Amino acid sequence: MSRLVVSNLSINRSELPVVSSLDIAVESGAISVVLGANGAGKTTLLEGLSGIIPVAGGTIEIDGREIQKARPGVRSREGLAHVEQGRTVFRQLTTEENLRVSLHAGSDLDEAYALFPELVQRRHVKASLLSGGEQQMLVIARALLTRPKVLLIDEMSAGLAPVIVTRLMSAVRKLADNGLAVLLVEQFAALALSIGNRAYVMRRGRVVHDGDCLKLLKSPDELHRLYLGG
Amino acid sequence: MNALLTSAVAGLTAGGTYALLGVCAVFTYRLVAVVNFTGAAIGTAGTFVLIALYEAGYPIWPSVAAGIAAGTLVGVAIGYIMTRWFGEASASTKAAVTVALLVGVIAIGLRLTGGQHPHNMPELFPGSAFRMAGVEVTIASVLTIGLAALFTILADLFLNRTKVGLNLRALADRPMAAELLGIRVQLLSLLVWGMTGAFTTFALMIIAPQRSPNFMTLSLLVVPALAAALVGLFRSFWRTLAGGIVLGLVEGMASSIDSVSQYRSAIPFLVVLAVLLWSQREARWDEAR
Ligand SMILES: Nc1ncnc2c1ncn2[C@@H]1O[C@H](COP(=O)(O)OP(=O)(O)OP(=O)(O)O)[C@@H](O)[C@H]1O
Ligand SMILES: [Mg+2]
Repeated sequence: MSRLVVSNLSINRSELPVVSSLDIAVESGAISVVLGANGAGKTTLLEGLSGIIPVAGGTIEIDGREIQKARPGVRSREGLAHVEQGRTVFRQLTTEENLRVSLHAGSDLDEAYALFPELVQRRHVKASLLSGGEQQMLVIARALLTRPKVLLIDEMSAGLAPVIVTRLMSAVRKLADNGLAVLLVEQFAALALSIGNRAYVMRRGRVVHDGDCLKLLKSPDELHRLYLGG
Repeated sequence: MNALLTSAVAGLTAGGTYALLGVCAVFTYRLVAVVNFTGAAIGTAGTFVLIALYEAGYPIWPSVAAGIAAGTLVGVAIGYIMTRWFGEASASTKAAVTVALLVGVIAIGLRLTGGQHPHNMPELFPGSAFRMAGVEVTIASVLTIGLAALFTILADLFLNRTKVGLNLRALADRPMAAELLGIRVQLLSLLVWGMTGAFTTFALMIIAPQRSPNFMTLSLLVVPALAAALVGLFRSFWRTLAGGIVLGLVEGMASSIDSVSQYRSAIPFLVVLAVLLWSQREARWDEAR
């Protein structure tokens, strides 16, 4: 059975439906990629999953336990972690303090530094002074220390140099290989598809494609058509 | 000259109270992002529990403890309202809500305590601590200033040395990101409200005998307190502490000069105005650069 199962989910924003009757699943040890143009509803979907905004209908299950009514903190304790769009580091805290905030019984700062050794020499630097790539590493590492079962990541590559994006993608692949279930939202498709397992394409709040990542990667025309509709 | 000094020193107790209330206001603002107009009213509620118990013949120190517990509870209750229903509101909305709550608390308080009816408030710390330049410095003033300094130091240690303090700083920085990491945001916020409630109550118990202890006048001590907090730009604890003390001294001096003494309650407003103008000038300067 899948780790994360989302069934018939709908989410409104300012009373307007932004996500409608959406079904998505993520297996443990796998990456499900969610693609879609600007405004397709990807961020809204993740915010509904983690509880930042309420859902209007449907269910969200982690290992069979329904969490769609719980507060974000409770969902976190149920094993859900959300790396938000826009690198939400605690700006006034140092790198290491950021990590310590999410330190749990059973997790260890060394895990974070093992995943991103780049952060070690920046450990006493205020997070607002880190580079974009370092901030992205920090928020991923920080989420990891909560010992999640499911990791939601929103547009981690936005505005970063290709070499850093490749670095981040391979780190995420490594996390999945260690058993994590990852839901990866990306606007730029190729790299995400190359590390992912299952691909979803969203348009206007609905899933318009559900299939294998490699297959979609090999048919760019199909992808183009899905993005633009028609 | 000596008369001026005497009255300045007489303003120290008030100054210490302003300082402590101001530091609590900064603490609340920095950690739960609320400019809290109910700060003094919370302490006043606790103080009146002490007065009621004392007037009913209960021994004083248990009554003090009960009063502080009551102030803590009122603080937590107001904090609950603020975090439960206004957690996502803007800073100005939250401030406006606390003004409304202040009006409500004063109305209820006046009703329960018999309006302007005079009360018998025990002096907790009578007498003078030492003489300075021929002037008696009261124990009460030393205590309020000491308490304000203690709160400042403890707040600093707590925020920078403990895990709960670290979580609070994270919460102040990005509440949603903190909640997404499983931090118990509501519980922590209530802790802040409870802590400031307890300290404020004790401060008001010390100063109450020197003011006319009625619910309204004590609750409105929030005005000089917020003026002190503004001197620290709602950021610096030590500047707020100094601001509160200086405010008390100036008020004390003003009371000895006949021509200005009737206007002395306007002093906090002048300070607020001066700080705002000054910080505006700085902002404009930054813009021009
Ligand atoms: N607070 C809001 N109130 C009303 N509508 C909103 C709000 N936030 C987003 N929307 C609308 O919801 C739709 C989906 O937005 P969302 O941010 O989820 O898209 P996205 O797929 O993440 O886009 P992007 O790739 O640009 O990040 C958009 O049409 C947007 O205008
Ligand atoms: Mg988005």
